[in-house]
Amino acid sequence: MRTAPAIIIPSPGDTSFPEMTRLSNGVPVCLLPNGTLDLLRIEFVFNAGQLMEDVPLAASATNAMLTEGTITHDAASINDLIDRTGALFNHTADKDKAGLVVITLTRKLEEVMSLAEEVLFHPSFPEKEFRMLTDKRLQSFLTARQKTSAIARETFYQALCGENNPYGRIITPDDYGALTTADLKEFHTRYYKPDNMYITVAGRNPDKAVSVLERHFAGAGTGKWHKPVMPELTFESASPGRIFREVSNSVQSTVRMGWKGITRDHPDYQGLQVATMILGGYFGSRLMRNIREEKGYTYGIHALAGAIHRIGYITIMTDVSNIYREETVNEIRKEITEMCMNEVTGEEIALVRNHIMGELARMFDGPFAMAEALRGIIDYDAGADYYTRFAETVRTMTPGKIKELIERYFNTDNAFEIIAGAQ
Amino acid sequence: MIIFERHTLGNGLRVIAHHDRGTPMVTSNILYDAGSRDEDPAATGFAHLFEHLMFEGTSNVPAFDEPVMMAGGENNAFTTNDLTNYYITLPSNNLETALWLESDRMRGLDLSEGRLSAQKSVVTEEFRQRFLNQPYGDMLLLLRPLAYKVHPYRWPAIGIDISHIEKADSGLLRRFYDRYYNPSNAILSIAGSVSPDEAFMMAEDRFGHLPAGGFNGRMLPAEPAQDERREITVHRPVPAAHLVMAFHTDGRKSREFYILDLLTDILAGCDSGRFPENLVRSKELFSEADIYLSGEIDPGLVIFSGRLKNGVDIRKAEEAVMEEISRLASETVTAAELEKARNRYESHRLISYLNASNKAFSLAFHELLGDAGGVNTETEQYMSVTAEEITAASSRIFRPSNCSVIYYLPESK
Repeated sequence: MRTAPAIIIPSPGDTSFPEMTRLSNGVPVCLLPNGTLDLLRIEFVFNAGQLMEDVPLAASATNAMLTEGTITHDAASINDLIDRTGALFNHTADKDKAGLVVITLTRKLEEVMSLAEEVLFHPSFPEKEFRMLTDKRLQSFLTARQKTSAIARETFYQALCGENNPYGRIITPDDYGALTTADLKEFHTRYYKPDNMYITVAGRNPDKAVSVLERHFAGAGTGKWHKPVMPELTFESASPGRIFREVSNSVQSTVRMGWKGITRDHPDYQGLQVATMILGGYFGSRLMRNIREEKGYTYGIHALAGAIHRIGYITIMTDVSNIYREETVNEIRKEITEMCMNEVTGEEIALVRNHIMGELARMFDGPFAMAEALRGIIDYDAGADYYTRFAETVRTMTPGKIKELIERYFNTDNAFEIIAGAQ
Repeated sequence: MIIFERHTLGNGLRVIAHHDRGTPMVTSNILYDAGSRDEDPAATGFAHLFEHLMFEGTSNVPAFDEPVMMAGGENNAFTTNDLTNYYITLPSNNLETALWLESDRMRGLDLSEGRLSAQKSVVTEEFRQRFLNQPYGDMLLLLRPLAYKVHPYRWPAIGIDISHIEKADSGLLRRFYDRYYNPSNAILSIAGSVSPDEAFMMAEDRFGHLPAGGFNGRMLPAEPAQDERREITVHRPVPAAHLVMAFHTDGRKSREFYILDLLTDILAGCDSGRFPENLVRSKELFSEADIYLSGEIDPGLVIFSGRLKNGVDIRKAEEAVMEEISRLASETVTAAELEKARNRYESHRLISYLNASNKAFSLAFHELLGDAGGVNTETEQYMSVTAEEITAASSRIFRPSNCSVIYYLPESK
């Protein structure tokens, strides 16, 4: 049998999330049931990302130090206690949030939650461990300084947000030297509190975890939860145009074009996701077909439209041999112009529509995957029906709308055109 | 426990099916028993080049990704020294589309020069991006020819020299394809919300007509036992020195694999392991210190990899590592350390079962090793490792004459 089978148009299934419950002190908890294994994934999310820091690096360093000693255990014994349970404690710290993801065998839950409480609320920030961690982080930083992609990324955020903004600030080696445990203690006291967090629990029978969480995260003196207050930010974008950053001896250059984008509450946000995907968001996208598959200039090229707190960004990025970089910029411009001149085909839209439906189905495939998808919704107040609306936006997308969105958001005269590489 | 059924088609294609009722998706995983160890030393990197070419379409399917996307699927592939693996995960009612695509590209690839030239260039850029444009990127490229002198593990999956890819012509590629890409050299594993009966029926429909291949078995030169310490020093524009030490071990099917897997977990698998505790925190010689198994099917390597703190003499650092591992041969690991490693193994195993795609690959991989059922009996292998076995394996492996060392140093400014 050699004929192609009929394809059934994928459906994302149920893309809604269960209602939030609360601990007695008001901490929001989302329970994601229907796991098939005796594992639980508990995530603690604090409003404690880079956005909140007054001192550079304080957010990520505070988060990394949580398991480096507590008021009752030194680093060696707290790690030993954690490792004995077999649980995974993954630190998470990004631009807007920070916290901890814990994955544990259900039968070890009580023991593991007691350790989670200890590291989240009672870390001691010992000097020796802090110095070692800072050295290690400085080394990683210095290593990253030699990667063209890392230099291009920091240049983009600086151009987009301005250097006086926590997102746009350029980190220097001196920032590592200047940071102190006093900075971390202060950051921790301000932001790692029950009134500044939420919890998700995913797995089989997550409701059974509530009483355990109640004991560890809603005890006396933990404070009453309130909606986190986000800081006001000032954005001072650079003027558009070419920005070159030299990375000596690199055999490739990173080409990164970028624009200011829109945030999740903007009516175009979801449609822009679809338009960006057609341009450069999948293996057979316009940019991949041209620059990878036809020209062979690169291993990969990607376009992305995203948003952090209060600002959206749009970017196209690729690593190419130094000799191809100007040609690559020209080809990117050409592909954008093409999409502004001519409507995409119905087949292209159908392809991307089905692809997104399949992606949604994977995002909702089981409670662990859903817990990850839920982050974007809660962190950015996107609304519990965000993905249901997204599925609808994707289903009703038209070639005319795509053209309009590309014209509106991918203005080639108005782009940051960042190149990081050898002279 | 992963419950599965197995069925072999007339043309030799081995099919494994696992019914997972907890997901609306299914993974079709097809593993070819062809890796970089199967390459001619004068034409390396072919197995990996095929991983690229397999997405280039056929006369029936001009663009491989389109039907995958139309069916709501995602797909990818990887190449190792031992095997090449392709998978498609999609809503289970579209499984047939995945099987159709896999069957089509198993025998129908277009290897004309036009198709080839762009992918040769893409692979060259991949080589530059991953190995040359990354600090420390070439470390493992240096290690293989140092540790292996005879066995084809002496080159990495990307190849000995990127010029082999640039020179690849369609005749050479055709021979590689005909030899390795056929039903009797492949294992198809289907995991997800599809019953084994349905899976077998669809596999028969889609693959049954393909002719069996002729390749059966390989004759690879065995790596002779290493009898003296090997050492190289390189200077690169990096901020900190790095020490690599590799010791030859038994292969993936040996008892030793399980013993060493547990041992490397005790040494560096978690923050309270011996290396983070002693080499990083207490002696402050390294900022990171890891040890892991290469995990290859033929006799492989256990590799120590550590980034030095500034100002530390690399020979002193190496001595400290040797001291740590020599201790393993003279005193047994503690019961608490073993218990911790076993607990961690149990959690990791369960976590890996969260994805149907992981289960599909594990089943196919164990079938390649000889029996898909290994996926379930492996736990017993790990749980039964004793402290005495660890001591015995350590004295056998961690000898200076069995060691290849790389001093990867910063260029002096």
